[in-house]
Amino acid sequence: MRLLTPKTLMIRIAAAALLLLVIMLCCTLAGPEPVSLRAALSGGSAAASPNPDFEILMRVRLPRVILAALVGAALAGAGVTFQAVLRNPLADPYILGISSGAGLGAMLAVISGIQWTLWGRSPVAVFAFACALGTVWLVWAVGRVTGKFHVTGLLLAGVVVNACFSAVIMFLTSIAKSQDVHATIFWLMGNMHEEDFLVLWAGAGAVGAGLVGLFFISPQLNAISFGATDAQSMGIDVRRTQLLAFGISAFITAVAVSLSGLIGFVGLIVPHAVRLVLGPDHRQLLPLSSLVGAMFLVAADTVARVVVAPAQLPVGVITAMVGGPFFLILLIRHNRKVYWLT
Amino acid sequence: MTASIELQDVTFGYDATRPILSDVRLTIETGTFLAIVGPNGAGKSTLINLLAGLLKPQSGTISIDGADLRARKQADLARQVALVRQEFVPAFGFSVAETIMMARTPYFGPLGFERPSDRQIVAEAMELTDTTAFAARPLASLSGGERQRVFIARALAQDTPILLLDEPTSFLDLKHQVGIYDLLKSIQHEKARTIVAITHDLNLAAQYCDQVLLLTGDSACPANPPETHYRAGPPGEILDPEGIERAFGIRVASMRIGRERAILPLGRLAKDADQAGAEESPHPE
Repeated sequence: MRLLTPKTLMIRIAAAALLLLVIMLCCTLAGPEPVSLRAALSGGSAAASPNPDFEILMRVRLPRVILAALVGAALAGAGVTFQAVLRNPLADPYILGISSGAGLGAMLAVISGIQWTLWGRSPVAVFAFACALGTVWLVWAVGRVTGKFHVTGLLLAGVVVNACFSAVIMFLTSIAKSQDVHATIFWLMGNMHEEDFLVLWAGAGAVGAGLVGLFFISPQLNAISFGATDAQSMGIDVRRTQLLAFGISAFITAVAVSLSGLIGFVGLIVPHAVRLVLGPDHRQLLPLSSLVGAMFLVAADTVARVVVAPAQLPVGVITAMVGGPFFLILLIRHNRKVYWLT
Repeated sequence: MTASIELQDVTFGYDATRPILSDVRLTIETGTFLAIVGPNGAGKSTLINLLAGLLKPQSGTISIDGADLRARKQADLARQVALVRQEFVPAFGFSVAETIMMARTPYFGPLGFERPSDRQIVAEAMELTDTTAFAARPLASLSGGERQRVFIARALAQDTPILLLDEPTSFLDLKHQVGIYDLLKSIQHEKARTIVAITHDLNLAAQYCDQVLLLTGDSACPANPPETHYRAGPPGEILDPEGIERAFGIRVASMRIGRERAILPLGRLAKDADQAGAEESPHPE
């Protein structure tokens, strides 16, 4: 019997975490302005003379790399969970309307011209976060009316709410002032920026706690992959697992979206890529997808800020442009393992 | 492991005014192999789902070992009853061993991994169902018969005294049909399990089962006495030609094979349609 053992899992997680750290370090050093790690380390901010290398690394590059890792991990982890609970390989973190809800929130914040801040956050992030969670709640409430385990009802409700809110966003775009439109569209395409360390720590805490929570329901997610009825007859509390899975993944997705806008592709493709290589066991798929998602987004964001420097591309453009062909190659090479798509 | 199942006046309908099952009274003794037969829509799967605790009766009680199912949590019930469903739901390419191990999920350790005792139980279930050879293969790469054995192994790994099966042989060829029934029979004897299986194959039911429950599908008119809704008893008594003709609304020919009868349905245009109703014995006693 070849089954996943805790030891194998720990080794793989440790290896992936190490790789992530290496990638983050390399990406911190990459950029239009050459910086030397040695110079940066030789004197901290405490040094009498200003140390430009240290300043660039600590205030510009590192926060941005950490943010990318955080958002990538959250989106990939939420994507794995949504695919499992909805038993749908096309599911991604945005499938229950989070993206359009957040987009609408951001749009409203921009065109209303509100200027206040909440704990240092711009109204765009606060509105996006609140509207994302509100939309998921709406979809959940509608989906719950439609049946006992309401997976199809939820999916339909999500698709319809997505379509409806997207139409409202387009309507607002067509009547809004042009500089507002540009700001929102940049946000909708997903983009990274420099964040306060305080915000980063809070976000990392929320996403980390969410992912650990999801890991503890991953054996149940395995059973639910065979359908709610099967899982229930095996003695699994399906409702509790579904509620936890949806609640936690919606929350970490909303955190990610409010920090960086709508970054597509990571939450859909990273889980599939990891599943193709390592198999469908969610105890492994969830932590490793999160780590690979973090690596992928850190690398993609580095490309986004380096390739047309000093200008920047929205990172969402890179994730789709680079990730798409990469995934297709993976799909062709491992195509005999893609039973879940047949 | 003992677990007798007791149904007392069980009534259920998806639409409250039109019961599918009404006033079913039945005792399934520990270690019995019971076949549920009857026309489509007569409530066979509904009854299995009621026994598995996935549906609750509108009135009446179902109890296992004297304890009412209504009062039990699903997790407790899963220690008593395992279910093998009819349709296969494809799920992300899990391997055979991973699938069978999922039956042990409620008993996993704090980190979500199986204990040595779980591995032992799964290894035994795979041994018994002859699935050890393809333990590492993905479920979707198996044939229908192999896959059915895997799901029976998963139910066995749940280590319950009662096994429920919804049409375990519906898509299988003759060899695999008798293979599955031989397997179930050996599970019944070697492991002393109670087995309840829905089937459309009256002849296999007669050959392998101790008891037959025939649901006639007439429950829609609760005015009729319960005997017209269902009949239960040993196969020789329940699977008689007249009873089958009435329940299914067809003509049949029957033939005594040895200890049991074989029944052949004959449609209006069948070559031997004129033989319907005849009972022949190839070896007159």
